[in-house]
Order: sequence, then C-alpha cells, then structure tokens
Amino acid sequence: MAILLFLVPVSIILLGIAIWAFIAAVRGGQFDDLDTPPIDILRDDDAEDLPRHDDRAD
Amino acid sequence: MLPIRPESADCFHCGEPLPAVPSRVVIDGASQAFCCDGCASAAQWIRDARLGDYYRLRSENAGKVDVDSVDFALWDRDDLMRDHIRHIEGDREITVLSDGMRCAACAWLIDRALRREAGVVDAGANAVTGRIRIRWNPARTQLSILLRRVASLGYRPFLSGGEAREEARRVERNQWLIRLGVAGLGAMQAMMFAEALYLDTRGEMSMATRDFFRWVTILVSSPVVFYSGWPFIAGMLRELRGRRLGMDTLIASATLLAYGASVIETIRGGPHVWFDAAVMFVFLLLAARMLEQRARNIASAQVDALARARPALATRELADGSREAVPLAALEVGDIACMAAGDAVPADGVLLEAHASFEEALLTGESSHVSKQVGDSVFAGTICRERPARICVREVGANTRLSQLARLVEQAQAHRPPLARLADRIASHFVAALALIAVAVYITWRVIDPSRAFEVTLALLVVSCPCALSLAIPTALSVAHGALAKLGVLAMRPDALETLAAVTDVVFDKTGTLSDGRPLLADVETFHGFDRAEILRIAAALERDSGHPLARAFDGVDDALIATDVLSVPGFGIEGDVDGVRWRLGRAAFVGADGRDDQSELWLGDGTRVIARLGIRESTRADALDAITALRELGLRLHLSSGDGANPVARIASALGIDDVHSRQTPERKLAFVRSLQNEGRCVAMVGDGLNDAPVLAGADVSFALADGAALAQRAADLVIAHPSLQRIPETIALARRTRRVIRQNLAWALGYNLLALPLAAAGFVTPWMAALGMALSSLTVTLNALRLTRQPKVETSAHRERAATAMPVTTPP
Repeated sequence: MAILLFLVPVSIILLGIAIWAFIAAVRGGQFDDLDTPPIDILRDDDAEDLPRHDDRAD
Repeated sequence: MLPIRPESADCFHCGEPLPAVPSRVVIDGASQAFCCDGCASAAQWIRDARLGDYYRLRSENAGKVDVDSVDFALWDRDDLMRDHIRHIEGDREITVLSDGMRCAACAWLIDRALRREAGVVDAGANAVTGRIRIRWNPARTQLSILLRRVASLGYRPFLSGGEAREEARRVERNQWLIRLGVAGLGAMQAMMFAEALYLDTRGEMSMATRDFFRWVTILVSSPVVFYSGWPFIAGMLRELRGRRLGMDTLIASATLLAYGASVIETIRGGPHVWFDAAVMFVFLLLAARMLEQRARNIASAQVDALARARPALATRELADGSREAVPLAALEVGDIACMAAGDAVPADGVLLEAHASFEEALLTGESSHVSKQVGDSVFAGTICRERPARICVREVGANTRLSQLARLVEQAQAHRPPLARLADRIASHFVAALALIAVAVYITWRVIDPSRAFEVTLALLVVSCPCALSLAIPTALSVAHGALAKLGVLAMRPDALETLAAVTDVVFDKTGTLSDGRPLLADVETFHGFDRAEILRIAAALERDSGHPLARAFDGVDDALIATDVLSVPGFGIEGDVDGVRWRLGRAAFVGADGRDDQSELWLGDGTRVIARLGIRESTRADALDAITALRELGLRLHLSSGDGANPVARIASALGIDDVHSRQTPERKLAFVRSLQNEGRCVAMVGDGLNDAPVLAGADVSFALADGAALAQRAADLVIAHPSLQRIPETIALARRTRRVIRQNLAWALGYNLLALPLAAAGFVTPWMAALGMALSSLTVTLNALRLTRQPKVETSAHRERAATAMPVTTPP
C-alpha cells in the first residue's frame, strides 16, 4: 500500500492545479460571455485576406 | 431563423414594413428592398465587408438604422470621457451600451465590424448584456469614428452609467463560479477518498491507511465546507441574528455538524466519518443556487441596459451666452442646458423656448412627438426633436423622473412573488418542526442504539431539508422570467405569470395594438401631368422636418428636394418653398381642394391648383394574424374593444377574424365590459399600449402593454412587451401555462419526497451520504425541471406558412 503515499499526494497536487486553472479561467473572463462565442465558429473566418481599412487607404 | 425571402414586404435589414418607394440595393445577386437609406447603406456595408453571413446567423431582425445619427465628436474629448475610458498600455478602452442588440449575430457583426476598423486593438460585444467593449489605439483612430461605424449598423451607443455596479456584479458572479468550481473539484476528490473507505467492506484496511485517508479527506473537504459553503454559513449567521429559522440555517448546520463530527471522529479514531455527505451537500446546493441566480441575472441585465441609457454629456450655457460641454454629473439645478435636435435631454427642467417638441418614448412610450410651450416641464431621457431647445434645470441625477422610474422597475424585480413567500414561510415552520423532530429522534435512538444516534439524526437533518420545497417556486419563476426577458417581455408585477396561466379571455383594448400606427402611402393620384416621383419628392421635402406623425409616410423617399421657409399650420397642414414655388400640403380645405376632410388623405397644391391627392393608410402589425391564430389555438376567447369608430374597427376585426367586436368604447365601458366577463367567471387579459388606458388595464386580471422600439419598462401594465411583435402574447401565455405546470410538478415532488424521506430517515434506513445525495438530487430535480422552461417551443401556426401580405390598408379617423 506504499504506492498510496505517492499517488494520493499526486492527486492532491493535480487537484490544486485544476483549481488554479479554473480560477485563472474565471478571472481571465472565459465565463463572462457564454452566448456570443458559439456563433463565431459557424462560419469560416476569411477576415485575413480582406484588406483592412487602413491598408486600403495607403 | 427567419427565412429571407427575396421579395418580401418588409425591409431586408430591419424587418419593418416597406414604404411605398423603398430603397433598393443588390445583395448576393438579388435586389433587396429597404425601408430607409440607413438600413440600405448598413446592408451594403455589411455586404462589402463580406459579413453577409450575419443575415444567415441572426435569429432576430436588426434594429432600424437611424440616418440622422448623433454627432459623436464629443466622445473624443478627453476631459469629458475621463471617467469612462480606461488606459491600458498606451491603448484606450471603453465599454458602451447599445439598445439594438437582439441576438448573438448582432454581437458577432459588431465585433467583426469594429475589428475591421483601423486602430482597433480589440473589440467584443455581448448580446445578453447589450455591452460593447472597444479597445483602440488613440494615435491611429478616434472613438467617434468607431462609434459612428457602430451607429451606422443600427446600434446606437450609450455610455453606461453604472460602471461600478456592473463591475461589482461581474466580480460577484465570478466569485460564485469559483466557489462552485472549488466545491465541484474538492467534492469529487473527497468522494473518491470516501469511496475507498466504503469499499473496505471487510475491514481489511489497516488503521494507519484509514486515518491517512481521513486526514487527506479533511484537507480537500475543508475548502469546500468553509470557502464554497461560506454563503450558507453567512446566511445562517444572518438568520440567527434576525432570530428566524431559514433554509441557510438548516443547510449550514447540517454541513457543519457533518464536518465537525467527522473531524472529531478522525481525531479519536471513531468508526464513521461523513465528509462525503458534507461536501456533496454543499456542491449540489451551490449548483442549484447558481442556476437560479443565472436565470435571475439574465432577466435583470436587459432591463438595466435600457433603463440606464441616458446621455453622458450635456451642453451648458454660461451667463455670457457661450456654451460648454460638461459631463452629466457636473450639471446642477439652475443651470441652463442646451440640446440640439436629436439630442437626449440630460435632466428634468423647464422649457425656455416658446415652442419645442420632444419624443417622450422612453418615459411614456408615446412615439409621436409631444409639443411643449415655454414653462412646460421637460424630462430627462426624452429626445429633443425638430429644433434646438434650452431648458432651465430643475432636477438632476437620481431625482429625475427617469431615475425614479428605473428604481421602480428594480423594486418590482426584487419583489418576491407571494406564492414564493408562502413556500418560504411553510419551509421556515418546517425547519422549526424538523429541529424538534431531530431532537426527539436523537433521544429515541440514544435509548435504542447509542452508537447510531448521531448518524441517524444527521441523516434525518440532511435528508429532510426542505430545500426542494423552497426552490420549487422561485427557480421555476426566475427561469420563466429569464425566458420572458429573452422574448422581450418584462414582467412588472411579480405574480403576473401566475395569473396569466389562468387566463381564458384576451381583450384587445385598442385598434392601435393591432395596427402599428405607422402611416403608409396607400395611393397617389396626380393631376395636371405631374408624375408620382416628383410629387413624392416635393411632399417629402415639406414633411421632412415637420415632426408630424404623417411625415413617416415619406421616410422611404430618398431623393427629396430641399424646402425652405417651411411653415407648419397645426391642424391644417404645412407650406414651404421648393424650387421657387410655394407649396401647400395638408387637408383638402387648406390646399383648396374639393374633397372630403379626411385624415386619411393629404392634398398637395401650389396655391392656384391642386396637384395631387395622397392616400395615407395605417398598416396592421405584420404578425397580427399569426398572433391571433396562435391565441385561438391556445383555446382563448378573443375580443376587440376599441374607442375608434365602427368602420375601421370592423375592418381590422374582420381582417384578423375577431368575432366579438365593440367600437366607440369609452374607458368606463371598456372597464364595464371587462367586469362583466369577470362576473361570468372568466379570467381576462387585456392588451393595450399602457398609456392612456391604464385604468382599463388595471381592471383586468392581467395586462399587456405593447412597446415598440426601446423597451419602455415604465408602462402601466403587468407585462410589457418590449419587442415589437404581437407573437409574444401567445408565446408568453404558453410559457405561463408551462410555468404553472412545472411549479405544480415541483411542489408535488418536493412534498412527496420529504414526506417519504422523513420517516425512512427517522427509522434509521438512511445513511448520511445517501441522505445528502437524496436531498441534493431532489433539489437538482426541481431546478432542472424548472430549467426546462428555457427551451422555447415556438408557437407555430398555420397562418405562419400562409402569410402573404403583411400590410393591410386600414384607415382610422382622428
């Protein structure tokens, strides 16, 4: 059962990492808007090959 | 998603009925019609920017684009915007509100449009809260340019007033999320360790391993109990200070009891620990509460956004006559504030001009302009029309009528419905009774089997927590209100939904609720060889700045001429010079025509001869037929009780198929009609506009007010429909009925569960972890059952498919 002495602390560390990651995600605003982003993936983004307004003016 | 038909009678962009001469633009190879230049150029820009997917993605029509948009130059002044702009690493950032965002596609469009602009570092729009965040580089662009781009797409930006409160709400929500996350992850681990202990059924585990597991469990469950469970503990302290017993007391004491006893057992090496029960309890209850709160927030965010849309800047006239722009907060009582035409009034005050007109839609919902004389009161949030005006400020900030009304709305929302309060009271008595029962059970078990006494009592406390009972009604109601807000319906009275579910009759209070009040050009008859386009250009030029309601009939004429020396003769018409000719437009007598004096006709003449007759009609709401059909399919009896004359009322009623029609009704007779229906035992819903029909609306069991455009949370009605669609009425009634059904299911489930669980637990058949799971599952069942209400089955009717023409000629006499 000595393996438990290794595995249990590992699970605790993983738990800590998971909580840290979750808090970072919340603080980073990942959960602020759950309604708009889903629609973003509904179309291919061809914005890159479009000239931006400033480029056109040059 | 709305089907986009190539040839529809509605504007391609905003979905409003088309004028007689729509603007046309070729989009994707098909010529599309638009109600105005603003919409046409917005659509053109969207096409040019290759953002045409917007039209595919959107689930709601866009707002109408206001062409005479505001001057945004003031937004560039640093001194005025200081409080609103954040400086981040050389960039600037601002959050503005917009009232036009109706679905996620709008947010998508704004986001893309802004990112295409030069100098924009980052942009984000949130359709739920109606907020647009823009971060830009001041060296490369100006805020006014960006805002004009947003405005030209139909989303008019406003400064949000309650930035601090907004931020506080976001921080609070994030804290709840973190609590939930910690509880979820912690509970998962704690249960995993508990499982290891449970699986040791034959007692083969060594004492050292067992204690090791227990100490580790303390480590992971402590944050769950004390950090995640803090809202419950704080709630218990609050309730104890207030000397009452509530749900929080029960939850927190059960959790702390389970945790505390487990810690003691761990220390002295006792046979049982109940950490799993404690953490599960906290996690599942937190999840239920979070869901309830989320539903509540969605409902309130939308009201907020609209109630707080007011100007951020004001123009003050100094003693020497010069003018300066100041932030709204700097305006004081006694100052003279100036507004250009199209500006919002910054504060309540007294008019200093001889004549001016204001659009009071935000306060009263009256969409036509109100004329005011010198000395009349002018209110903050109304919009100055036609000509500039000056007011002497009387009330500022929180004392303005706008702020007071916004507060009223907030109060109405904070109010707990009576049914929910009743459930709370029952639950509170239940908690007290439960405490007594727990003591009795503990004493009994001490006698029967002292070793199990604590465990059984704990299980009893946990399993019979009446959380499900107290969640049954509020969750269903707040989810329903969230769903309502998504529909664009605001419930002003908390128990409106309850009454609505019982409605048997719907009375339409006015013809105006079925027609949209927008004048349309029906037909143009020309004399003396003038052609139609010429006539329209002259008429549009004369009407353009008149502010007269009929002027909207000419909105679609885009190449109007220029009229000078325009003079409005109230009640008769308007005259002015166009290309050197003095034209008169108005009633037959005014123009010198030999015709009936009918408001449904306008005549145009040049002083010597009559050139044209313009027929004006009022269009029915595009969706009136669909809505009426849907209402009938819900088994409701429909009535129309209007103050208008017999003819137009009969015409509208027959077009829509309403049989029970009463015309020329005074408010008293309408009220008597409602009373007579109620005496027959019917439950009556009244649909009006909430303006001058408040007493009639109040007499009905429940009332709807229709509010076009900006949401007018201030109307005197139980339910305000902020979305310009009659279809919302059957949808709301259907939702109310489903809510009632869900509440009944919830109550039955919660009561049944408690009545069943209590004796089982008292008899010792339930262990604490089973109790926590059972209790929480019952709470979750109730919440999830309530969440079913967010799924909207669309009210589809046969009329949807058969709908052809949306506008019907209907004239109303004065």
